[in-house]
Amino acid sequence: MLKNISRILMVVATPILVSSCWELDQEVLDGVTQEQVDNSKNPVLIDVLKASAYSRIVGSWGGHNSIWSIYEVSSDEMAIPQKGADWQDGGLWLRMHRHQWLPSDEAFRNSYNYCFTAIGEINNLLVQYPDLEVLNAELSVLRSLVYLWLIDSFGNVPIVTQDALGANPKNNSRQEVFDFIEQSVLDNVALLSTESNKTTINFYTAHAILAKLYLNAEVYTGTARWADAEAAADVVISGPYSLSSNFFSNFATRNSGSTENILTLPYDENNAGGFNLVQMTLHYENQFTYDLQEQPWNGYASLEEFYNSFGDADVRKQSFIVGDQFSSTGARLLDVQAEANDPNGPPLTFTPRINELAPGALRQEGVRVGKYEFANGASSNLSNDYVLIRLGDMILTKAEAAFRQGKTAVALTAINQIRTRASVAPLTAVTLDALYNERGYEMFAEASRRTDQIRFGKWNQPWWEKGQSEPFRALFPIPLNIVNDNPNITQNPGY
Amino acid sequence: MRNYLLKQKTFLLALALIFCATLVASAQSRTVTGTVMDPITGETVPGATVLVKGTTRGTATDLDGKFAIDLQAGDQILVVSFVGYLAQEIEIGNQTNITVNLEEDIQSLEEAVVIGYGTQDKKEITSAVVGVKPEDFNNGNVSNPAQLLQGKVAGLSITRAGGNPNNGFNIRLRGLSTFGANSSPLIVLDGVIGASIENVDPNDIQSIDVLKDGSAAAIYGARGSSGVILITTTKKSSKEGITNVAINSFATMDQATNLLDMLSPEEFVARGGTDFGSRTDWRDELISDAFSFTTNASVSGGFNNTNFLASVNYRDNNGIVNGVSNERLNTRINVSHGAMNNRLRMNLNVSNTSEDRNSINDAAFRYATIYNPTAPIFEDGADAERFGGYFQRSLTDFLNPVALANQQKFVNERKTSLVSYQVEFDILNNLTISAQYSKDNRNELVGNFWSREDFGIGFGARGSAQRITNDRRQQIFESTLRYDVDIADGLNMTLLGGIGLQTIKNQGFNARSRQFLFDQGWDNLGGGSIRVGNNTELSSYANEDQLNSIFGRANFNYQNTFFFSASVRAETYSGFGPNNQTGVFPAVSIGSDFTQIFDMGVLSQFKPRVSFGVTGNLPPSPTLAIGAFGNGNRVDLDNDPLTTDDLYVGIIQNSNPNRDLKWENKQELNFGIDFGIWNDKVTGSVDYYTRNISDLLFQVPVEAGTPNIFDPGRFNTVASTWVNLADLKAAGFEFAATVNAVKLGAVTWSPSANFTIYQKTTIERFSAGGLGFTELRYATPGSPGQNNDPIIYNRVGQTLGDIYAPILEGLTDGGEYILSTDNPDEWEKVGNGLPQGEFGIANSFMYNQWSLNFFFRGVWGHDIYNSYRGFYENGDASSNTWNSVVTDKTPTNPLVTSDPRYNSSYVEDASFIRLDNLELGYNFKTNLKNLGSLRAYFAAQNLFTITKYTGIDPEVRLTDSENGNALTSALSPGIERRSTYFQTRSFTVGVTLNFK
Repeated sequence: MLKNISRILMVVATPILVSSCWELDQEVLDGVTQEQVDNSKNPVLIDVLKASAYSRIVGSWGGHNSIWSIYEVSSDEMAIPQKGADWQDGGLWLRMHRHQWLPSDEAFRNSYNYCFTAIGEINNLLVQYPDLEVLNAELSVLRSLVYLWLIDSFGNVPIVTQDALGANPKNNSRQEVFDFIEQSVLDNVALLSTESNKTTINFYTAHAILAKLYLNAEVYTGTARWADAEAAADVVISGPYSLSSNFFSNFATRNSGSTENILTLPYDENNAGGFNLVQMTLHYENQFTYDLQEQPWNGYASLEEFYNSFGDADVRKQSFIVGDQFSSTGARLLDVQAEANDPNGPPLTFTPRINELAPGALRQEGVRVGKYEFANGASSNLSNDYVLIRLGDMILTKAEAAFRQGKTAVALTAINQIRTRASVAPLTAVTLDALYNERGYEMFAEASRRTDQIRFGKWNQPWWEKGQSEPFRALFPIPLNIVNDNPNITQNPGY
Repeated sequence: MRNYLLKQKTFLLALALIFCATLVASAQSRTVTGTVMDPITGETVPGATVLVKGTTRGTATDLDGKFAIDLQAGDQILVVSFVGYLAQEIEIGNQTNITVNLEEDIQSLEEAVVIGYGTQDKKEITSAVVGVKPEDFNNGNVSNPAQLLQGKVAGLSITRAGGNPNNGFNIRLRGLSTFGANSSPLIVLDGVIGASIENVDPNDIQSIDVLKDGSAAAIYGARGSSGVILITTTKKSSKEGITNVAINSFATMDQATNLLDMLSPEEFVARGGTDFGSRTDWRDELISDAFSFTTNASVSGGFNNTNFLASVNYRDNNGIVNGVSNERLNTRINVSHGAMNNRLRMNLNVSNTSEDRNSINDAAFRYATIYNPTAPIFEDGADAERFGGYFQRSLTDFLNPVALANQQKFVNERKTSLVSYQVEFDILNNLTISAQYSKDNRNELVGNFWSREDFGIGFGARGSAQRITNDRRQQIFESTLRYDVDIADGLNMTLLGGIGLQTIKNQGFNARSRQFLFDQGWDNLGGGSIRVGNNTELSSYANEDQLNSIFGRANFNYQNTFFFSASVRAETYSGFGPNNQTGVFPAVSIGSDFTQIFDMGVLSQFKPRVSFGVTGNLPPSPTLAIGAFGNGNRVDLDNDPLTTDDLYVGIIQNSNPNRDLKWENKQELNFGIDFGIWNDKVTGSVDYYTRNISDLLFQVPVEAGTPNIFDPGRFNTVASTWVNLADLKAAGFEFAATVNAVKLGAVTWSPSANFTIYQKTTIERFSAGGLGFTELRYATPGSPGQNNDPIIYNRVGQTLGDIYAPILEGLTDGGEYILSTDNPDEWEKVGNGLPQGEFGIANSFMYNQWSLNFFFRGVWGHDIYNSYRGFYENGDASSNTWNSVVTDKTPTNPLVTSDPRYNSSYVEDASFIRLDNLELGYNFKTNLKNLGSLRAYFAAQNLFTITKYTGIDPEVRLTDSENGNALTSALSPGIERRSTYFQTRSFTVGVTLNFK
């Protein structure tokens, strides 16, 4: 009997021993492994990978609750009025407008992650292809662009490069971030292509990054760099770009042919979703104006005062959708649920006046953001390419940088170039206010207003439904979860 | 072997001779006849032994349970006995025809408890294991096996809010112990680990055993952390030598119940509501009483060493809304055969199920509740024609519920099959080798359809349709060796060793197109002209994993007094990170029956036991450790839409790789006492457990862009990584007791009760490696206007799933909220969605042929955010659009005039007691030769609920139905969403027939 047992034990033990030695290999059936990427000889792979890094930047920029949202709603050019229950949303967008935001507000986390996700993707590619000089140069400058947003919005952020080690990076000062951006661009700009390619970084976008950095140097570091800003803008202006005679062609559904756009986010209804302005701003009933695939959300509107600052002759005033609204077949649209105190009643009419920010903003009040064309039959994802950098901005950068150095003639020529294209009378003399206002007309809805307001010292002043704001509000807070979870991160002062 | 056989034959022969001799010797005097009955089933008992007391003279009952026995002078008493019944003595007196009602021997029926890889005598069990037998199952229209156990097992929480026949049940054992991985117990069906529960019809179940503590579940290693439910299907007819045909057929009517009170059309208009001129009761239009039919038929029997069961179960369940139905056909064949004098035993179980689920968009329930009661269903005009004649208005959150229910359709056709072969061979009398191979296939074919006229989606998409297939194949091979030996006087040892190999492959395909000329639906996706972009889809997926295991267990029994058990399982899983491939899960338990040592008076059993076990949980998907690249955007390299040769899909990581990713680890310590009082007239158990969960699997937010510490040299490209996180702690106390058959005159009463008190799961730490975070917030109330602030905070040092809110401190004279704060960081804890305790009280009465069972179930100490109140109770501006709810808790003087804002007043205590189940049955006496029994019954489910909660259903919400992420939804319990299916009350009449 004992013999039997030992025999049986052997029979059983053998497979047990075999099984304990099995090395299981997890196959990936519906994805791609790092190994496959490393071993690929496909010549377009690097271009596609590079595009993946760009696609992180395309990502959520143009959606609600994005970095674009916090730039626009915190400025004096846009608001999301609370229409009864609708758009109360925990008061986040009311706080954003009134400069009372909290570090825990979700939109900051979204924006911060958006930036750093792109940085991680870029760093991975830099680690993966250390020998491809031109690619490294382009990606390093792309990373600088992301840091340009970070220095502007959150300020004292960690600098994370491909050489970084360990989790929980430390804050860097705004000065250090400034130096890092400047140095990255200067080190790499010579290797960049000089051809116009609106969807990737080239020689001119690198200079545009510098121009924007220098223009705001005083805000970022305390030391003005006006001459450097002008010089950098001049390099861009000397490039293969020209102002479009039709201002709105830069923002059309098919705007990839624009001669003025320098860097765009190539949104596409089918290939690259995420640009949702049509949903964010239009009234529900406007679905029938453009035969939209989805019902819009009736959210973002512009402020009456900002709208009224546009001259009537200014073609750029068509950046707003205002007045009576019609269906695609010409019928007057009706909002059957129009509030009893709405002076316009049910016929849908966008008025510049907004009765109040909250809680009882009337559903139809507020002019809407119409700078980008809404194609008939559009889905919630627009196909228009979102314009990050364009020549018009660079010309105004030059004008301002020149003016602040006392070169009024240079400034006057530049600003009038922009005004002429907009069919408004040329100025005879430039003032800081004129420059500020001109940037407002030109750059509406291009996430520029907040930066301009800070630079021109208007940011803390009161405006509609907003009081004087504390000086520390010129920086957004580092998102609460980052501060809580990373012991090496210090919150921005004041929060 | 031959020797052994010969001995038995000789013995049987001798027995038969003695028997005959006694019969011959007593062939005079009078004869008494009789029938032996089981009064509970109403069936006669064939094969029962009838002996004259004090003699060896006797007989056995025939197929009809009848006997005739010749008496001699001095014969006073008959002793009637049969396996499974208490022996009964009958005074003969002058009777010539005696009816003997046997009483079930409950203790003997409960003896064997199914544990992993075998059964164990109940008295030997030293861990927390509960067996439930069919007579204790819930009654009525029960189509899901989980429902059989609802409220029956202390610590086992089984919930489904609302009465949707397509919705499964949420099952939790001993509270929430994991959230990133599977939080439902592992189902083991006839030894098949992880089998789909659809494979078994409740009618075919012989027993369900629940392995509650870590020590019992540890034999299932890395799959056992959420507990284990072992389901055993019927193998054979209860009586050998008889073929039994059983038919159970019932009809059920479901009614919607507990509908919320809304304003009448007049009240709505008076509050400022827009009057569209009609009067429509939308819920009345949407719902109607539903009728469902079920028939189960089975043939079972046994001959020689072969037993079989063949069954067909057909269920046609209809929802209270047209368009909601669940039709299921399940067939099963179980065959077991013993060869070589029953030393070689073979079991074959085959089951096949096809199920058709038809659903509507559940938002119809919400719109039927709040849609403008003055709107007509239909209207004339070109505008309405676009929507199929239905009244629609372009307002946010405003869809005609009747149109919605009719113009969107969702079907899911599921086909599952489970085949399991098992062979057992006794190498020696006490050494058995066993092997089991099983294959579990599940295929889903889904069709989704949005009509061109559906205002919600179809209109904008110009009609859209979708087809999805999901295919899952699981194969398991397991082999065990069991050895049973008396090592010393009174010391018995059972050893078990085994190996297991498992592979699971999941794959599927999904296509959706839009812009149809005609509403052709999913049968012709090619009819949709647009196949990329919004409302379209083209994708497929596949993954495969392997799990190899070795396990062993030793059980010791010393003189039926001291019991000890130890087990270990080691598992290697392909989805673990390369740095952590194998997990080891040990367990020990010990117990002693003190009544065997001391005289304990009324106590007939007093068995304290202590057990400790380590179990695990697998990552929810096998490729998480690798962090494979998935599909990113389509990249047009030259950005020119006219050239397509340069169009590629980019690659992106969906989560950062983690080379260290491993199993979750749960350590559980259980103290328990099994007791019996008054010769086991009362039996029960108490348990206290404490568990510590470490290495919790979860996708944590990480700082994007920073170096990935789990994959050195690379960077986080997404803001989340799957990691093993620590630590959670939980504990609980459980009590269960049953009183067996109390005689109250002619009435037999069997009450039982159980309850659980949870010490809710607390979060000790949220950290992994150098990463840590302090809280996770989930679940916003939603649109309109309450999109941004999550209301469930999971904070370190606090319990899981806490509900936070600003405190409503009062109302101004004008009816505006006075809230404690506007800052969500200053919100206070106002509740928790998980219960503090649960109980079940069952009562069973027997009177002659009548039986009455009713069952109360209660849950206390849980809160629910009532989202109907949270959105639709105020007299604010939007009450002109949506109808308002009026509940006992609605402030009326003054009415709140603020726009609805989430606050503490909408978080309600949802403790409840419910009469879950009631059944009245009658056993007809039958004289027909082939009709064994005929029973008719009436059952009601969800008869009434006592609660202060004012929403749709106070049932615990273990998960959040609107949290699209299946992995985080367990972290947002306690929310009643507006699309909750209405509660239903069911009435069932049925009949059960047994032929033989």
